[in-house]
Amino acid sequence: MARLRLDHVSKRYGDFHAVRDVTLDVADGEFVVLLGPSGCGKTTTLRMIAGFITPTAGGVHLADREVTGLPPWKRNAGMVFQSYALFPHLSVAQNVAFGLEMRRLAKADITTRVAEALKLVRLDHLAGRLPRQLSGGQQQRVALARALAIRPDVLLLDEPLSNLDAKLRQEVRVEIRELQRQLGLTTVMVTHDQEEALTMADRLVVMNEGSVRQIGGQRDLYERPADRFVAGFVGRGMFLTGRVEAPGRFRTEGGLALACDGGASGPAVLALRPERLEIGPAPLSGLDNSLPGTVEFISYLGAASDVHVRLSPSDRVIVQVANRGGDAAPEIGATVHVGWPATAGRLFAPGGDPPSL
Amino acid sequence: MAIASTTTAPADTAAAARLIAAEERGGARLTAAMLVTPATILVAVGLLIPLVILFRYSLNEFVTQRKLMVEAVTIANYAKFFTDPYYINVLVRTLRVAVTVTAICLVLGFPLAYVLARTQSRFKNLLLMLVVLPLFVGSAVRAAGWMTLFGSKGAINATLMGLGLISTPLEIMYTETAVIIGITAVNLPFMVLSLQSVIENIGRDVEEAAFSLGAHPLAMFRRVLWPLALPGVLAGTILTFILGMNAYATPVLLGGPKFQMMGPLVYGQFAGVNNWPFGAAISFILMTATLLLTIAANLIVQRRYRR
Ligand SMILES: Nc1ncnc2c1ncn2[C@@H]1O[C@H](COP(=O)(O)OP(=O)(O)OP(=O)(O)O)[C@@H](O)[C@H]1O
Ligand SMILES: [Mg+2]
Repeated sequence: MARLRLDHVSKRYGDFHAVRDVTLDVADGEFVVLLGPSGCGKTTTLRMIAGFITPTAGGVHLADREVTGLPPWKRNAGMVFQSYALFPHLSVAQNVAFGLEMRRLAKADITTRVAEALKLVRLDHLAGRLPRQLSGGQQQRVALARALAIRPDVLLLDEPLSNLDAKLRQEVRVEIRELQRQLGLTTVMVTHDQEEALTMADRLVVMNEGSVRQIGGQRDLYERPADRFVAGFVGRGMFLTGRVEAPGRFRTEGGLALACDGGASGPAVLALRPERLEIGPAPLSGLDNSLPGTVEFISYLGAASDVHVRLSPSDRVIVQVANRGGDAAPEIGATVHVGWPATAGRLFAPGGDPPSL
Repeated sequence: MAIASTTTAPADTAAAARLIAAEERGGARLTAAMLVTPATILVAVGLLIPLVILFRYSLNEFVTQRKLMVEAVTIANYAKFFTDPYYINVLVRTLRVAVTVTAICLVLGFPLAYVLARTQSRFKNLLLMLVVLPLFVGSAVRAAGWMTLFGSKGAINATLMGLGLISTPLEIMYTETAVIIGITAVNLPFMVLSLQSVIENIGRDVEEAAFSLGAHPLAMFRRVLWPLALPGVLAGTILTFILGMNAYATPVLLGGPKFQMMGPLVYGQFAGVNNWPFGAAISFILMTATLLLTIAANLIVQRRYRR
């Protein structure tokens, strides 16, 4: 059952398409993340669900009700703003009670539900404080409690973690996700942080320039990206340009002959992932591709190192090597062999705008 | 041991930081003192000293026959004011006009200030200029303008009579209504600017949060916008009220000779009949009334919205 449904929704500002023909079904209790680079229309999409922006075309359905033309106060969408947008003149408890008072609940019910919501976010001891007397993380939890208290049909989160420091962000991430599971909340979150998106979502919607590029689970996006943009945006991608000479044979612009997985003859881009490549001092047997190259640069990342290897004057790849200690790491200037199975590469049509690595 | 050294080090730096902060505070205090000194001197010389002298005058006696002030210590001038219904009437009328003007300014000014604060228009600065524009025109010129509008042969009456809606001209000129309209026009910009600067600092997202929680616009206004805009409301209200209480040119020009308010009354005593002690007493009564009402309004609002 679709709790939330976007039906060919578009938003135009003059000639500019902020959101273009977005169709999306969100099931009851599902956590969907809208992911994409800055300016791709994520916030606009979310605000159309909340009712702050009216779509220029298409329809929004929330809990089996068409809400496209309804103002925000007639929808039942709980929104957590990036800035939290707490009411500065009201205490924590009064902030949480606000939505319930608007729904004209009985005083006693309001008190219990405020206490419940504050308990969920573990802030019951700060109920009397004013927002300015709270830390950023606490304010964020008040905003969450305030949105949860109204028992929304859908919870909308616009980059809820972007104002928190890195460590807190990790914690709150888990916290929000657990709360969402426990309460069975249908949730749409917006982020441009792919790690955040990958760790939290049931399903991801990758957007670019106002359009949905691909909808799917983490594995779908990572293993089977629909296009070059998704391949570059989700996970790390490297792109070798060239052409497919015959199905299974790819020649780079630098002249390397590579084995690839199928493909139709013509210009193409071969996408590889650094963690799928292997590196060794001698030719790698058992792999479809094994090429000699020179180590040009190494960046040490702790758990792993990125080894940049030049394979031809115009082809360079990055190989991610796990740092296990003991085994001799490659050195800059050394000659190495890089290999991968044909199935590790994916072919895309050229063009588009791959974000460079 | 290692633990001990790591705990003392921050303590040392904290102490050093406190020292630096204290020095900086001292420096800041000195600079602040230097910055406020000229203004303080100006206020003392320009306002306090005349006030003290004025208060002293208000206790003096006035010899009517010789139009002379005689040194004395008496409350006769104050008694004269509060025992004569004519003067009480002037005070009541002044209060009524000031309160009405303030209320109208608030009702008209809030929506205007809100639009100005929220507009994304490129012409925002131009709009702000338009709000202030009335202040560029002096009181006398403005009053002349109002006369052409309000007079028995003015634009309003001419139009209404031309349309056959009325047969005899309405009396607008030289009425309290004319004075209220006139003062409102002068005071509105002050109200709008006070409100606009405060509303501008209320995040749009806070309003949206209220909407998303189920508040319709009126509820949002009552529960979020109004309480948050209150400092601006208070500032604007006080400003317009004080300006209304002390209005001089507009009541004289639009109210005519028979319409008395406190401002013209004070001036009349000083310049007209040369009765400085009584003029001084009226000044003090006007000032005290204004001050008391302002403080009372402040207290009421603070009690109501304090938390
Ligand atoms: N009121 C508006 N008028 C014109 N263009 C707008 C308006 N609001 C948004 N846009 C444009 O629509 C596009 C999408 O904006 P949106 O805020 O949805 O981006 P986003 O994906 O949330 O980006 P970010 O990650 O930076 O928040 C942007 O290019 C923006 O410039
Ligand atoms: Mg955004």
